[in-house]
Amino acid sequence: MRFNEKEMVHLSRQPSEMVAELGMRGPKKGDVVKRRLVKLVVNFLFYFKTDEEEPVGALLLEQCRVEKEDNLTFSVAFLEDAERKYLFECDSEEQCEKWIDSIIKASYEFMRRNLIFYRTEIHRLTGKDPLEQYGISDEARFQVTNGLQHSSRDASSM
Amino acid sequence: MKLHKKILTHYQSCTSPVDKEGYLSKKKQRNGSYHRRWSVLKANLLFYQERPADRHLLGVIVLEGCDVRRADADGRFGFCLLFQGPEPKSYQFAAGDEVTLESWLRALRSASHSYLSLLLQNLHIQYQEVKQHQGSGDSSPSNLNLGPAPSPPPPSSSSGLWSSSVIIKKSPKPWHKWNTHVTPLNVPTVPSYAEWPLVGSNPQEEFRVLHELYGQEIKKARERWLTSRQPPEENIQEDLIDLT
Repeated sequence: MRFNEKEMVHLSRQPSEMVAELGMRGPKKGDVVKRRLVKLVVNFLFYFKTDEEEPVGALLLEQCRVEKEDNLTFSVAFLEDAERKYLFECDSEEQCEKWIDSIIKASYEFMRRNLIFYRTEIHRLTGKDPLEQYGISDEARFQVTNGLQHSSRDASSM
Repeated sequence: MKLHKKILTHYQSCTSPVDKEGYLSKKKQRNGSYHRRWSVLKANLLFYQERPADRHLLGVIVLEGCDVRRADADGRFGFCLLFQGPEPKSYQFAAGDEVTLESWLRALRSASHSYLSLLLQNLHIQYQEVKQHQGSGDSSPSNLNLGPAPSPPPPSSSSGLWSSSVIIKKSPKPWHKWNTHVTPLNVPTVPSYAEWPLVGSNPQEEFRVLHELYGQEIKKARERWLTSRQPPEENIQEDLIDLT
């Protein structure tokens, strides 16, 4: 599967509040803890070998579960297999909790839900749609959904 | 760099909202030929594959920091995703018709995480102000029956923007106001304290996002103006002064 790698590497260099060297362990049985510079940019978790310019990898932080494992460790689990966890060891409990909080709130889906909440509430309380001033009221992405997949499909089949 | 593909593949096919999907022609980077691709836009990711039913994804484009532009160079209803950076890169697409093209342009322009983050900040502030005014007993034409309001999940993003409490100046100028068919927008009430963007941890990033946000308004207005402009009148072609 192809992806815009150069742009991703460029993205990984953007400033971020959440950057730290953590002990990172992969989900497979044989995986060991490795020191990695972990960086949260938009909804991706990049991890670098210390002092390297290009990240080793990137994890998309959508449809994932972030949990506290113990005082210093948090985990990020993907897919339905909750046992496949990426583990991150922090230096303090405070740091650990801050990472958990930041990762949850970086998720696009989380942010979208919040936006829809505010939009609905502001509209309810003022009678005005706050997205109207931006001309994006009809965009599918900002509509209230009932949790099921909906899509804006084109009529043309080209 | 490794991009964990299973995670992306799962996200593409799971029940999270699809923001737009449909067939697009995608220009191959290497030989410039166009191929039909089933494209799925979810969040800030544009996935493409051969057919809707395919389990195999051909690729994904992460839509952060890109400009979405019309590109009629190849004589179709074309657009491109233009990434500025150390090496500018452009991904070319074409839609089947004008309506489809415009729909994709709109959907892609509001796709980035940074854009959503900025919108969310603005709405968060507006929401707080609305709650404040409600609390102080301001008369408002709408619902006055205030039960215990559910406390909203406190949104914040990991970028410096949230924690430094950036306050964006109210309501960008309604650039499209000169279109006389649009009724004037209601400007939200001006709060009692002066609002200026506070310098966060990265003013450049904040400006870029603001610029992008306002820039989109301008682009829309410009496009609308271009399509509604009257054709130039014939007599402009003639000399203004008859020298014969």
